[in-house]
Amino acid sequence: MSRSIWIVAEHQDDNLHTGAAELAGAARSVGDHVAAVVCCEAGSTVPAQAAPFVDQVLVIENAALSGYTAGLWAQGIVGLAKESAPAAILLPHAPLGRDLAPLLAARLDAGLLTDCLELQWEEGLVGLRSVHRRKLVSRERVATPIAIATCQRGAFAASPAGDAAAIETASVAIDDTAARTRLLSMERAEVGEGSITEAEIVVAGGRGLGDAEKFALVQELADAVGGVMGASRPVVDQGWVPHDRQIGSSGVTVRPRLYFALGISGAVQHVVGMRESDVIVAINKDPKAPIFEYAHYGIADDVFKVVPAVIANLNS
Amino acid sequence: MRIAVCMKAVVDSQARIELDGDGNLRQDQLRFEVNEYDLYAVEEAIRLAESDEGHVTVISAGTADAVQGLRKGLAMGAADAIHVDCDPDDLDASGVAAVLAAALHDGGYDLVLAGVESDDLGGSQVGVLLAEALGYASTTLVVGTNEPVDGAMQVRRELEGGEHANVQVQFPAVLTIQSGINEPRYPSLKGIMAAKRKDLAVKGLADLGFDGAPARRVESLGLTIPPPRELARMLEGGAEETAAELVRILREEEKAL
Ligand SMILES: Cc1cc2nc3c(=O)[nH]c(=O)nc-3n(C[C@H](O)[C@H](O)[C@H](O)COP(=O)(O)OP(=O)(O)OC[C@H]3O[C@@H](n4cnc5c(N)ncnc54)[C@H](O)[C@@H]3O)c2cc1C
Ligand SMILES: Nc1ncnc2c1ncn2[C@@H]1O[C@H](COP(=O)(O)O)[C@@H](O)[C@H]1O
Repeated sequence: MSRSIWIVAEHQDDNLHTGAAELAGAARSVGDHVAAVVCCEAGSTVPAQAAPFVDQVLVIENAALSGYTAGLWAQGIVGLAKESAPAAILLPHAPLGRDLAPLLAARLDAGLLTDCLELQWEEGLVGLRSVHRRKLVSRERVATPIAIATCQRGAFAASPAGDAAAIETASVAIDDTAARTRLLSMERAEVGEGSITEAEIVVAGGRGLGDAEKFALVQELADAVGGVMGASRPVVDQGWVPHDRQIGSSGVTVRPRLYFALGISGAVQHVVGMRESDVIVAINKDPKAPIFEYAHYGIADDVFKVVPAVIANLNS
Repeated sequence: MRIAVCMKAVVDSQARIELDGDGNLRQDQLRFEVNEYDLYAVEEAIRLAESDEGHVTVISAGTADAVQGLRKGLAMGAADAIHVDCDPDDLDASGVAAVLAAALHDGGYDLVLAGVESDDLGGSQVGVLLAEALGYASTTLVVGTNEPVDGAMQVRRELEGGEHANVQVQFPAVLTIQSGINEPRYPSLKGIMAAKRKDLAVKGLADLGFDGAPARRVESLGLTIPPPRELARMLEGGAEETAAELVRILREEEKAL
């Protein structure tokens, strides 16, 4: 019997998210029939954009689905899944999946595996997940007839584009008066002038710098190497530097020639924003910090000892 | 306004994480702390309650390790606490949501706040599952709240790449709280003293109507140590030496400076 895996197509306005091809790849790793579910308004081109990556596109069309509203998307997908009973439904471990996956799981009485790095099928959907700050991997299996999982961005090879799959419009009723959350407006990211995304050298500092005053060391090194200062999220959260300096999934993605990570642990949400840099240097006093797995050069020592010495060396 | 805040005791980020001979996490070396995201949730609840004479209840499901976090919540300004005494190893996320819902369902809350995810296991699902178990609305990744108007609240939801969505949420609702929303206060000495006199109710699963732990939807197949990824070339020696070597490499080998 063929095993059907659905992916929930992520899109904004009329653009399919690039992560959809990866999600299709994740679905192919455990299923032999892959369908993309698209929630959109009539006339959207998103179904056609998804078609090359999957075997079938299931479209849930309604004027109320133009923006993302959790309750309405869930209504449509749950209605469809109750009829067709896919083996699993996959979503990105991103704002969409964090919001929608547990809603689907609750309404389909399904087990949910989040932030999966790898999927397997062993009498049910098995997910490999990183736990305890990446020090351990946990293998978990869903024990319910339908499984829900969210997949880490970048963890799965994208499904190559092939022939466009058939597009079918599903007939599920959406009752938009039932929505108890409503999207009012979107705020696009503001791109600052001389933004760090264009810098050839980025010197980023993290919570390990200690406080706003001591964080000045990061700017000092940036000045010494002719680079631009960046930061991890806690530094921005605490107001040491403005938000446009934040590197990572909820900030910007940079790809400079040279990247310094000072006092940054290397959480996945940070790493996705810098791992493509050509040369990565990490300085962290914890020799087991995950950042060293992404760096080309590492120094396991105190930034307040090493960085002043680096600056002195550059100036000599 | 009545607000409940979910607080989880998570394994301390500095704790030694090792497996014993049977592949189980070595418990003797573990220390626990309150999940960082839950402190933002407590702070937000207290601020919302302050502006309209509200009432904040903190709740945690777990072993005795959960109590320290609840005391912190009380010291920060919550009015009372509920400790659901159970072994979290017996529960998956849907089970945690079920027991929290059983403890909260007749509390008449307008809002329940949870963290976006737990620092140790990173499930990022209990908040929304709890909303569904209670029959509440939910929204996630909240980085800003507004004053409630007519039984609803406008919140700012964080998306990727610096984008945000403004979402209207009807009460009762569960919000999952993301860092950056506020700066959690440190409990004052007065707060710590006052917390000792506040009500901390302890409830077992049987008190909440459960006959044993709720059935699991997800089962654990075991823990492993991940294969080492390619590691950085580590520069050894004192700060002077490593700094000099780094500058030499970046200049001469990488030609990056
Ligand atoms: C939905 C979501 C989105 C997120 N988006 C982002 C994002 O866009 N960007 C981002 O960065 N994070 C993001 N995060 C947060 C992320 O999970 C981590 O919490 C964060 O990246 C940790 O920042 P850090 O490494 O600076 O701090 P920590 O993890 O606290 O690490 C500090 C490091 O400094 C080291 N250190 C301490 N003192 C010294 C010293 N004197 N010398 C040298 N080293 C020292 C420590 O060993 C430690 O490794 C997001 C989280 C979520 C849930
Ligand atoms: N055992 C628990 N007791 C109370 N709250 C919890 C518990 N587990 C999870 N939570 C809440 O749910 C949030 C998300 O947890 P998780 O889904 O495990 O990542 C946490 O930040 C807590 O607010």
